This record gives sequence, structure tokens and C-alpha cells, in this order.
Amino acid sequence: MTLSQGKAIFIWGTVISAVIFVVLTYDSLVQMPKRTQETKLDAHVAAGKWVWQKYNCNDCHTILGIGGYYAPDVTKVMSDRDKEWLKSFLKDPERVWPNPRKMPNLHLKDQEIADLVAFLDWVNGIDTNNWPPKPMVATAVTSISTGEAVYKAQGCSACHTIAGVGGKVGPDLSKIGKVRDKEWIEVQLKNPKAHNPNSIMPSFSKVSYKDLDDLAHYLAGLR
Amino acid sequence: MKYDSQKIALNYFIVAALLFGLQIVFGLILGAKYVWDFDPLLNILPFNTARAIHVNLLIVWLLFGFMGGTYYIVPEEAQTEIYSRKLANLQLLLFAVIGVTAIAGYIFGWSWGMPFLEQPTVLKFGIVIVALIFLYNIFMTMMKTKKWTVIQGVLLGGLVMLAGMFLFGVFFMKNLATQYFWWWWVIHLWVEGAWELITGAIMAFILMKLTGVEREVVEKWLYVEIGLVLFTGIVGTGHHYYWIGTPNYWLWWGGIFSAFEPLPILFMVIDTLRSVGERKTEIVNRVALYWAVGCAVMHFFGAGVWGFAHTLPQINQWTHGTQITASHGHFAFFGAYVMLNITLIYFAMPQIKGLVTFKQSLGIKAFWFMCSFMALMALSLAIAGIVQTYFQRVMGMDYLTTQDYMRLWYEVFWVSAWGFAVGVAIFLIDFYRLAKTRA
Repeated sequence: MTLSQGKAIFIWGTVISAVIFVVLTYDSLVQMPKRTQETKLDAHVAAGKWVWQKYNCNDCHTILGIGGYYAPDVTKVMSDRDKEWLKSFLKDPERVWPNPRKMPNLHLKDQEIADLVAFLDWVNGIDTNNWPPKPMVATAVTSISTGEAVYKAQGCSACHTIAGVGGKVGPDLSKIGKVRDKEWIEVQLKNPKAHNPNSIMPSFSKVSYKDLDDLAHYLAGLR
Repeated sequence: MKYDSQKIALNYFIVAALLFGLQIVFGLILGAKYVWDFDPLLNILPFNTARAIHVNLLIVWLLFGFMGGTYYIVPEEAQTEIYSRKLANLQLLLFAVIGVTAIAGYIFGWSWGMPFLEQPTVLKFGIVIVALIFLYNIFMTMMKTKKWTVIQGVLLGGLVMLAGMFLFGVFFMKNLATQYFWWWWVIHLWVEGAWELITGAIMAFILMKLTGVEREVVEKWLYVEIGLVLFTGIVGTGHHYYWIGTPNYWLWWGGIFSAFEPLPILFMVIDTLRSVGERKTEIVNRVALYWAVGCAVMHFFGAGVWGFAHTLPQINQWTHGTQITASHGHFAFFGAYVMLNITLIYFAMPQIKGLVTFKQSLGIKAFWFMCSFMALMALSLAIAGIVQTYFQRVMGMDYLTTQDYMRLWYEVFWVSAWGFAVGVAIFLIDFYRLAKTRA
């Protein structure tokens, strides 16, 4: 090979790739407003995006799978959490979920929290080509998704105690099956205010039907 | 060294070495946060702040190294002194002030909040000014003699591309997906575009000087390598456009083009080994040789193999956003750019100091420490990532529960990181020894 042949590889390689890339970029920018539901992107969402950036959330959490790997990905968080749950969590993470690995209290203002939740709600609607994928091993999921696992995964022990372990904000559940049946517990999980309008417990209605069923079954069995 | 203004590089290398040491300190703090849940720094230096500093220090010290290297190489290629020493010193000062301000700012919560580009907008404009001063100074030097060697042409091209791409990361956009679309024009087209051009040019220069292989041969392969880098790398940006709200044809374009990205890096390995094999002169500077050959090999494994492992969408849909990416990030940045900068420093420092021979044992010790412990770090994070991918993504276990199952590998990672830090300390001691030698 000669120097000029090498030069030709360089020039043509670069030009061809750049042209393809620019054409695809143009088409992507045309399609993205629809794929990201830009019509729903209002001033609250934009303000929420700035809250997300201002507090450098992205260096602990990933969003769209990009960022720090120290905390959960938040792309689809609004599919799993109620707005009220998230708001109280953002207000004081330690109180709502005293996990060993901690999120600092950022002392967000109420307006900032509302905007941030609006932003995450909008992000939840982005068409991500089905990412993150649904778990592949369905049987394995069943085997670990017992009610006890759901209880742990949803952070119930932040407020409730079972057999001496857990928080004191909510009632002790060690023998809850003696006083409440499964149906009552299910209603309580989905809509705590149904039983007590002043309840401070957040709703868990976004938890899957199966997980709720498992959880209620587990709790009703505690006697 | 033939031109007095090549000495400008020395101060750039000093700043680079200092920031490198500091980067490792923050890395060890971050690692500890994974190993122990109890975090005494939670409200002083939380994970996000420490990560922003760790990564920013990396980028800034590598840029200082590239700039120093450019000031060293261009006079010899253009066969003239640097256009303005004053501008070069002003640029150094300005960049250092901006860098320190940015890092101090993160501690006080002054952040723009996009990963790697956390610098507040006003500082970003400062960085643009630094880049303009730098490019002007380099361009004017080249214009003095207009000797357009391929090496300095590629170097200039890489630097212009580096500065140009940065502009896509300066502006706030309301749409997160669009913001990330352009963000990748900075991040990807830097590390798999502009930085590769700069690396190619610097490595070609060093190999030519070190081995005495003819310019024509070196430059021919430089063209082929960067041609393939850009051919695969530009459309290869698409491997970041699988899951961020972009159309699904990127799965094809990004997957196919990025699958070929290891090819030019393999060429660089072959090219390096061939140059050394066909050397026309005895290679006196064994340390520079160790780092140059090591750089080619580790660049291939860290960027090429580790990148290929999770670039196909069928795999990436499971691994995206896990510690697999962190493993690749550590390995690739070390192999490609950290080792290049250390090669450059070991090549240029003795020349700047007018040393024909120098004590080489520390440089070689640092080489083995850093390379072997980085390999362990990359492996342990990769295993952590595989555990995470399997439990969290394949089995559907929740994020925090999965983290408990990964702890052993975080521990191996962190202990290895201390071994790596010993290597860095040896390098810094050696660097200090070289830097204080009177020319």
C-alpha cells in the first residue's frame, strides 16, 4: 500500500461514515418529538429537568441507562411508584426508606419536588425500544417474588415492624393476620385512605397485581 | 529536543501528573462507598460529587497531557519555535484556574448536572476560550513553515474536532432524549473520534522517533488507522442510540458499525509491534518503549475487546446501565489515554531535560503495577456487572438487593485499586525525580 492509498482510505472512510451519520441524525431529530411525547413536555417538566441537573442526580442514578451506577435507574420509576410515594421519598429519603446505602437529604423545596416528579413522569413515557427489558427467567422471578421478598423490595420495613425488625412510623405487623384478612390488606395497600382518611401511608397501587397478591397473602398469614 | 519552546510541555505535564494523583484519591473514596454502606461523607462529599470530581480530573489531566504533547511535537514537525510562549503560558494558567474552580464548585453544589459535562455554563465558555487560544497558537506555529506533515495535520484535525464537538454539550435542552443525543456527540466523538486522532498522531510521532522507522511508513499506517477509526466510529455512535428515545434503526447501524471498531485498534497493535521489530536504531529509552507497546495492547483489550463484548444490541439491552459499562470505562480510558499520556511523558521528559540515559527501574515498576492491577480492577467490575445483569435484568431482582450480591467483587475491585494507586505513586515519584533534574 502507498501513502496516497492510505490517504484515500482516510478520506473516503470519513466522508462515507459522516454522510450516513448526518442523514440518520436528521431523521432521528424528525422522529424524536413523537417518540418522546414532546407535546406533554410542559414548563413543569422542563423545570424538573433542571432540578435533576442542578442537584447532580445523574452522577448517582442512571437515567435512560446513562450516568452513575451507585443508585437505581429512574427511567421507568413512575411505572413502579406512586407520585405521592416519590414526593415523600424525595422530601426525606431516610424516613421513607432507611436503606443501608443512603441517598442524602437534598432539602428540596416542594415546588422542586413537584417539578422533578413531573419530569420523571414524562421520562417514563419515552419510547426506549423496550428498555429495560422484561426479566427473562419468569420462573426464577416467581420463586423470589414471595410476599416476603415483595415486603423487602418495597421497603415496607422502613415504617413497619415484623418480629422486632423495622420502623416505628406505622403499626407493628407481626400478628396482623389475626386482626385483618387478605382482602382488607389489599385495599389498604392500594388505597390507604380508604380505611383512614388521615393515613400518611403512601399508596402502592403501582405494584404489580401478582406482587400485591403475594404481599397480602404473606401479611394475612402472620399470626 | 531541537527547539527551546518544546519546554512549554513540561509545565503542562506537571499539572497533568498532579491532577492524576488527585483523581486516584477520589477514585478510592468512591470505591469505599461501594464496599461499606456506612458513609461518613454522605453530607460532605456524597457519591455524585466525588464521581463528578473523579471523572472531571481524568478528562482535564488527559487534556493537559495532550496539550503538553502538542507543544512538544509541533515544533519538531513544523521545524520552528512555537508561535507564542506567552499565549501558551496564559492558556495553562487559565485552564488550571477553570479546572480548580469547577472542582471546588462541585463540592459546594455548583453543577450543570450532565455526566462528565458538569461544568457550569460560564466555565464552559472559559474552556472554549482556552481551546481557541490553544488552536490559534498551534495553527500559527504550523503556518510559520507550512510543512504539512501527516502527523501534524492529523494532530491539528483531532484538536479542532475535539474543540468543535464540545460545543454540542454546552446548551440546555428541555428534552432529555435530545440532550443526550447531542451529549454523545461530545462524549463518543471525543473518545472514539477526536481523541483517537490525537492518540494516533502522538503515537506515530513517538514510534518514528523511538524506532527510527521511516516517516512514510508511519504516516501511511496512520492514515489507514484513523480512516478506519472514523469510518467505524462516526456511525458507531449509534451504539449509544439504542435505548434513549431514538428510532430503532440505530440498533442495526450502531450494532454493525461499532462491531468493527476494534479493527483499527488491532491495526495499531500490529503497527506498533512491526515498527519495534523493524527498528533502525537501538531503543535506549526502554521505559517509553514499555509504555508504548503496553498502551497498544491495553488499548486493544480495554477499548476494543471490552467494548465489543457489550456493543451488540442483543447483549447491550441486558448490560446497559450496569457495572459492565464501568468496567469498560476504566479499562478503556486507562489503556488508550492514560497509557498514551504516560508514554508521552516518559518519551518527552528526558529529552526536555537533556538526559541521554536515566534510571529506568521505577518507570518499569510503575508500568507493571498499573497494568496488572488495572486488569484486576476491570475483571472484578466486569464480574460485578455480570452478577448485576443476571440477577437484576435476567431474573428481575430489585436493584438494591442485587447490590448485596455484588459486594465481594466491589471488595476485590477496591483492593486492586489500592495496588493501582501504588503504581501511580511510583510513577509520581519517578516523575518528580525527572522534573527536578536540572536541564
